[in-house]
Amino acid sequence: MDHQFLKNKRILLVDDEPELLQMVQTILRQEGYTNVYPASCVREALETARQVHPEMAVLDVMLPDGDGFSLMKKLREQGDYPILFLTARGEEEDKFTGFGLGADDYLVKPFLPRELLFRIGAILYRSYKGENPLVQLAASQVDFDRALVIRDGETIPLTAKEYELLSALYRNEGRIVTIDALCEAAWGDNPFGYENSLMAHIRRIREKIEENPSRPKSLLTVKGLGYKLVTEDKR
Amino acid sequence: MKTVPKLIRRFVETLILSTVVLVAVNIFLLLFMLSRIESNAHPYSAAEDVAAALTRQGDTYVLTEKGVQILEENDAWAILIADGSGQVIWSQGPLPEKMPQTFSLAQVASLTRGYLEDYPTYPAAAEGGLLVLGFPSGSYWKHQWPSWNTELIASVPGNLASWAICNVLVIFLIYLAANGRIVKSVGPLVSGIQALARGEQVHVPERGLLSEIAASVNRTSDILLSKNREIRRKDMARANWIAGVSHDIRTPLSMVMGYAAGMEQQESIPPRFRKQAAAIRRQSQRMQNLINDLNLASKMEYSMQQVKTEPVNAVALLRKSVVDFINTDPEEKYPVEWETPEELTACMVMGDRDLLSRAIFNLIQNCVNHNEQGCTIFAGVETRDGTCRIHIDDNGVGASPEEQERLARVPHYMVCDQNTREQRHGLGLLIVRQIAMAHQGTVEIGSSIHGGFSVTIVLPL
Repeated sequence: MDHQFLKNKRILLVDDEPELLQMVQTILRQEGYTNVYPASCVREALETARQVHPEMAVLDVMLPDGDGFSLMKKLREQGDYPILFLTARGEEEDKFTGFGLGADDYLVKPFLPRELLFRIGAILYRSYKGENPLVQLAASQVDFDRALVIRDGETIPLTAKEYELLSALYRNEGRIVTIDALCEAAWGDNPFGYENSLMAHIRRIREKIEENPSRPKSLLTVKGLGYKLVTEDKR
Repeated sequence: MKTVPKLIRRFVETLILSTVVLVAVNIFLLLFMLSRIESNAHPYSAAEDVAAALTRQGDTYVLTEKGVQILEENDAWAILIADGSGQVIWSQGPLPEKMPQTFSLAQVASLTRGYLEDYPTYPAAAEGGLLVLGFPSGSYWKHQWPSWNTELIASVPGNLASWAICNVLVIFLIYLAANGRIVKSVGPLVSGIQALARGEQVHVPERGLLSEIAASVNRTSDILLSKNREIRRKDMARANWIAGVSHDIRTPLSMVMGYAAGMEQQESIPPRFRKQAAAIRRQSQRMQNLINDLNLASKMEYSMQQVKTEPVNAVALLRKSVVDFINTDPEEKYPVEWETPEELTACMVMGDRDLLSRAIFNLIQNCVNHNEQGCTIFAGVETRDGTCRIHIDDNGVGASPEEQERLARVPHYMVCDQNTREQRHGLGLLIVRQIAMAHQGTVEIGSSIHGGFSVTIVLPL
């Protein structure tokens, strides 16, 4: 996701491995993130956090003077912002998913830069989408703040379900979202038997956003699997 | 626990059998003995014989030679009491001193039933009177009251039956009294040994007659327990060692992978080097998969991986795995065809979502690893004969029937206790098989109708 307004968010980066810290910093800077603050231990992280008031933190789980989870609690006392964990152990997945420690996401090492950037982008978008300007599509613009589509100077409102589906697609912009995940986004847990309704809703969204709904350019079908939203920012 | 009742039954059976045999033997011995002594009818028949041998000749009576012989052989005497008068009209042999000359009917009745002056007497009808044969005193014992109530005789079968039941009861009580304590100590022993066979910890109270055996059972249990603990400890140490190594490799590998991927994207670098960077990135991803596989395989092997069971929609699961793969394959060298029948929107199986995703991921990764030039992957779910079949096929290089056979037959080095050079394929398939087994499922390896390799995970519905 290429949301320029998210690129100047202040990101706190904590890892005890200096070279890894350096690498993640480089990856983020290359992607255009301008405010990245590295720290190599709990003490240093708390110190930096006090000074810069980060808007997001990327934490390693194992640190020389404590662990990432307790660091997260201390950081949260200072301010409520999203946190992504980098972990070297797959077994800790349970801790993130099961115990609801409040982490927004986690990534198991080793990881591809692409994956890290996608997660950070998605978390920042989820947390700060209120500041979101218009999203540019091939034939229209979407205003997620007001749940509107703007096409040829005309504003077309989105229904609640259409809005849920379009946001789910936009959060994963450029990637396929499965039929099941979309049904879950619109109809909640246990989303069985909504496949036909989903198709009907997708058709109506296309009528609103596409120039020619039968030859879509922004909301693409991946046969049998799901749908993909392509924005103009990416191109 | 059927052993103790069985034991008791066996004991009681033995007791009853031995009693029956004993009674039978005694009866036999008694009969044998009786057959050896003279019949108790002998004195009566002797009297009959003497009576027959006595003939009347005019006014006198004459005993034939045979009658005399009987009297002499038995050292007996004989008298003839005349009908009507009761007078003794003939006599022979060593008569008792106080022999009356006449007998009243009451005296006749008495001597018929019993004795005359201590001489056992036996009557027999003779010509003109009653012949009485007297044996020496003390030679025979006479039962003087040989008469029973008819009711008593009629109830003999019933009485015999209750007699038998009483006997069995008495035998059982004797048995209980004698063996109750043994049975009491055998019971816990038997259940203890049975628990031992199930691999449970056992403590039998060391009391009673069989306390020594109880102590041995307890000792055996302790030894088994400590052995198991030792094996478990070693397995844990090995799995932890693998987990530790893979943990330590992850951070350096992050850097190799991260920088290689970065260089691959860097437009200022000549294409030749970008290609090399891509190779480094690809190989480090393989290492990443290998580490994950190694860790999981060792945990599954030592049963340290918890397998959750929750309802999982196999169609949604496969769709997510496939989409996750497509989303991370920007080169689009491995397009995926969805082969699930359109009407099948849900196929619920009981299983562990993460482990099943992992199995599917490994199968897709297998297609990638064996087809570096790229291939189309075919993924789908079907239901057949009460099973859910998840297949991952490709149209790549595939495997010959021999290779497929080898994959199915030869154990992986991870689970093989011999040095083997034969099997050097990745851990991927081993894990798929372990995961399928943990779900009571199977894995089918074969050739795809699309021309390449085909693997199907078959799970019970």
